[in-house]
Order: sequence, then structure tokens, then C-alpha cells
Amino acid sequence: MTMDVAARRKDACNRFLRRAHAVLDLEGSTPSALHALKIKLTALAARTELFAVSDFPMPLAQGRLHTLVAEADDGLGLHLLIGMPGKMSQPHSHGIWCVNASVSGKERHVLWRRTDDASKPGYATIARTGEVLMEPGHGYAMADLDIHSQEVVGRQPSVILALYGYTFERFTSVVWYQPEFSSVRALPSRRAVAAS
Amino acid sequence: MSAPARASRAKSPKSPAGFQVTIGNTGALIRCAADETVLHAAMRAGIDYPHACASGNCGMCLSQLVAGKVAMLPRADATLSPEQAASGKTLACRAMPCSDLSIRWLGRTGR
Repeated sequence: MTMDVAARRKDACNRFLRRAHAVLDLEGSTPSALHALKIKLTALAARTELFAVSDFPMPLAQGRLHTLVAEADDGLGLHLLIGMPGKMSQPHSHGIWCVNASVSGKERHVLWRRTDDASKPGYATIARTGEVLMEPGHGYAMADLDIHSQEVVGRQPSVILALYGYTFERFTSVVWYQPEFSSVRALPSRRAVAAS
Repeated sequence: MSAPARASRAKSPKSPAGFQVTIGNTGALIRCAADETVLHAAMRAGIDYPHACASGNCGMCLSQLVAGKVAMLPRADATLSPEQAASGKTLACRAMPCSDLSIRWLGRTGR
């Protein structure tokens, strides 16, 4: 019996999450555990037949997030993000660890670190520490407070798989940095907003 | 009216001196270049315009365009629905003026 693409995708995502849990149960979200998850997620992303852009609604504007699996009880969140050329995000941290892997297209991700002492509310300075070109076969991991920015480059839509320590809709503390304004702003907790 | 930046830019006469933007919440009148976002111009003018991501991902700068036209830089779908755009709402961090503007930011209850 042949499964259709949606069923094979669901099966593959669930298998991946079981393997992810096996790593996390053993090690916690240590750097080596996140590195192992990155390798597994990159392998999943290489199964491009499961994540064709034609199988997902495209952005009405330039960026759209699809939830592949959202585990109950603040479990893991596996998402697929589609970005059109030019779509970008300024530097931010998620407040939760994250692992990314590219399915198709290209994104330039820049890594940053905070350089001020966080003593002045609303004010922050950051400095570039590295860069990752996200294209098929590439991925990387970030700890809870790691800061990155991203931009879709080239002419093709970018498709990224992203695994978070809990699902996107439950984020509590996304923090955005604006180097141009030297500002820092924390978003309201999504779970608090949802509960209000 | 909002539209993708590249499409609208081709039709919009560029003004080297930029455009006048009235910030309804404060009454401030500021200059905004044709290739500058309203948020950037406001921050440059010392106005503490509500924002977070400044890149069309969070919606914190959701604003009501009272008068004028803007071109929009790329953004995430979740930040501005087609219904919001149709009713004159925009994102200050993505909106670049194509004319003089009057705009005001919306609190969480004004969405």
C-alpha cells in the first residue's frame, strides 16, 4: 500500500520527533544535543519530495509559517517557513532553543551577540559574530538567547524546517534588536496573549 | 492604500526631499524620504513609535493610514491581514511614503 505525500510527511515528521525526544531525554538541550538534532533535521529536510512548496499555501504577502507538528503539553514544535525573495527579519532571540534546516532556496542568516550591559531599559547594542548561508544541506542550532537575523536571497522562495523547544504559538519571550536605533523590545508572551 | 514596494515604486514620482508625515498620536510633523520607512523616520525624529521587529514580523507597529499612499516592503502574512490592509491599516516598519501621509499607531485594542 502506497501512502500519499501528506501521510508520508506526517510519518517522517513523527519519526523525526521520536528521535529528537530520544536525544533530548538523554542529554537535555545541550550544544551537542542540538548539534545532533541539526543533523537529523537536515536529513529530514533533504527529503524534498515531502516538503514541496506546491503542497503548502504560499504567502499572501512574503512570509508564511506552517505548523507541521505541535506537540501537546508544551512539547516540541516543528514548523515549515516559506519566505519570498527579500523577506527578512531583524536580529532577534526566541527565548527557546531552535534548530533550522534548509529544504530549498537560500537565506542569509547573520549571528549576533549583545554588547551592552543591559542596564538601560529599551536600549541595546549588538555586534555581528558570524554568518550562515542556509541552502539545501545546511542547518544550524541556536540556544535560547542566541540572536540571529535572516534574509531570503536569490530569486527562489526559501523553505526552512524549524524545530523549537516548544511550538511557535507558545513563545514567551521573543526579543527584537534594532542596531540602527540601538533599541531592544520584548514581544508580549504569545501564551499570555492567547489566554487573555 | 498599500502595495508591494516594487510595483508601487515604479509608478510613484520620487521626491528627493521626501514627504511630510503627520503622526496623529503626537501631532508631530516629520519628513520621511521616499526610500525610508515611516517607523525609521519617526525614530530618527525622536518619536517613540511602538515597534519591536521593525521587519514586518510582529505587528507591534500596526497603524491606521488616515491619508496618503504607501509602498510596502516584504512582510509576514500574520502581521497584516488582507481585511486590515483593505481598511487602511498598515505597518509603520514596512510602509514607505508615496505621498504626504497622516498616520497613527494603534494600541492592542485598536486592531
